[in-house]
Amino acid sequence: MISCADFMAEIGNYLEEDVAAEVRAQLEQHLAHCQTCTVLVDSTRKTLKIVTDSGAFDLPEQAFKPVGERIMARLRASTK
Amino acid sequence: MQKFLAPNRFYGVQARVVKRMSHPMGLDSGESSQPLAALQNHLGFVPDLYRAQNVLPNVLRAEVSLLNAVLFQTRSLSRVQKECILLVLSANRRNAACTAIHYQTLRLLSVPEQRLNRIVADYRQAKLSPANEALVSMALRVGLDGHPVANEDVGLLGAQGVNEEGALETILAVAVGNFLCTVSEGLCVEPDFPPPNLPEPPVKAAARALTPAALMEGPTLPSNFPPFLQLREQFGFLPKIFPSQSLRPDVIEAEAELVSAILSSNGVLRRIQKEKILQANDLGFVSDQGYKGSHLVEAVVTTGLACFIETLQAGLGLPELEIRPSPKKPHLSTGDPRQTNGELTRDADLELVAEVHNGNLDAFDELMNRHSRRVYRTLIGILGDPEEARDAMQDTFLKAFQHLPGFEGRSKLSTWLVSIAGNTGIQRLRDRKPWESLDEFGSGSEDGFRPRQVQAWTDDPEQLHSQAETRSLVENGIMKLPAKYRAVVILRDIEQLSAEESAAALNLGIPALKARLHRGRLMLREALAPHFAAVSSKSNAKGVMS
Repeated sequence: MISCADFMAEIGNYLEEDVAAEVRAQLEQHLAHCQTCTVLVDSTRKTLKIVTDSGAFDLPEQAFKPVGERIMARLRASTK
Repeated sequence: MQKFLAPNRFYGVQARVVKRMSHPMGLDSGESSQPLAALQNHLGFVPDLYRAQNVLPNVLRAEVSLLNAVLFQTRSLSRVQKECILLVLSANRRNAACTAIHYQTLRLLSVPEQRLNRIVADYRQAKLSPANEALVSMALRVGLDGHPVANEDVGLLGAQGVNEEGALETILAVAVGNFLCTVSEGLCVEPDFPPPNLPEPPVKAAARALTPAALMEGPTLPSNFPPFLQLREQFGFLPKIFPSQSLRPDVIEAEAELVSAILSSNGVLRRIQKEKILQANDLGFVSDQGYKGSHLVEAVVTTGLACFIETLQAGLGLPELEIRPSPKKPHLSTGDPRQTNGELTRDADLELVAEVHNGNLDAFDELMNRHSRRVYRTLIGILGDPEEARDAMQDTFLKAFQHLPGFEGRSKLSTWLVSIAGNTGIQRLRDRKPWESLDEFGSGSEDGFRPRQVQAWTDDPEQLHSQAETRSLVENGIMKLPAKYRAVVILRDIEQLSAEESAAALNLGIPALKARLHRGRLMLREALAPHFAAVSSKSNAKGVMS
């Protein structure tokens, strides 16, 4: 049986579904008996969904407008 | 349009999954009992097709609303006419489950079996009235061949007393029919009743010279019409197929409800997964993903939605790209000039690049508008400071303009721009004051992280906070990450770049990128845990790691 540390070393690949079948089986065997690692898998999956759906760091159109105008002014001046 | 004809190539494991998803006693949960009762009322029975979607009560409710608006109400076409259209469409898709549903419904509406059998075998030999034959023929052209309703159809229908609203109702019925067929094929639903013999080979509608008709629209609906706002929220813009149905605001309302129910973040699939499914519009794609259980049901109804939208586009004669979603968040459409997708705007990007080469500076302005979000996210990921990120955008785009003559289109323009932004950001980071680590992007071990927050999270964490609050929590959590994790998480999980694109932008190898991504995700989970953990101590883990 693998340890929690072993599981943690593979949790990223496990979540990305990037582990060999036999490794996956070992990880799932561990999960079947380890509530803590089950919570970590579940909450990391939820984290990913929250982050993906969050629309974080969106740049409002009005925030880019002055930047774009400055760039265009420089380009127009340099290409005259 | 071949996708419409996608046959039942999805049988096997999935069918057993669906059986398990249904209530073992054939009963239905409280949430889904109301829509199922409405179906019982309108159809006289509850098809398994709907019970199989029990795990998505919001979607089920929205489907019934759409059926109510499109099918159950009698407006220009009668209920029997619409059920006949659905019967012939299903039979010619060789979909036994849906054929059985519409066959049984028509029987309950007092259409004799003998007549129904003739219609299924070949509607052209069933002595339908000229109006009904024209309707069915047009429906098959739209639903199976993806042809638009043509001026000739409108003229023919008009001569038979069917107005343009009738033509629109036909398109809508066909779109609903294709949705239902796709869902039943994806979930491998067995027929509720023995189906009639399906036509072999499928009946082809007569080929016609086609001039797409400009169907009459109703009074222009205001831009703040609530379903339009709902659709804008989901797609990032208002696809033309919706205002084009302004004759039927009630249908638009039901469609908006369905779109929101399927694409909202309440389900089990991530938004980006749904967008990929919408793009693929192919049950084979869903099958290849290996989804199971409720993931499978959600993936299948998302494909059904793609098919519904595609049918509407075809019938209304609108260009396909109008609705095709971007694979990236937050905007689904190529109609938004500021969206940052790659594949779909690739050609348009290259055209603009060519225009810049020819001296058109406005084309560069357009390219900047298209890719500003992605460039900004790359920079804020690296620099961690919104003001400096905006400042660095200027450097990035000026460098891009300078080097654009050397851009040969071997990679996507967006990838090329992100690389320039990455280099610009990393250079700025390294130019900072000495106490900031120059090795933020250098090598270093990612081992040794031990999570401390090990309490279980609530089942539906996104419901705990408003969208704005959640966004703020995510932004704060990410900003607290060390730069090397922050940049990777933003590029991979928010900007949804591929591992290769992200690695190239940050001058990293793929193994290093993966290690940082995994570590960054765990650290972010740790930061968010206090805000999303379940309150009940019962559901908490003991917090002991072996």
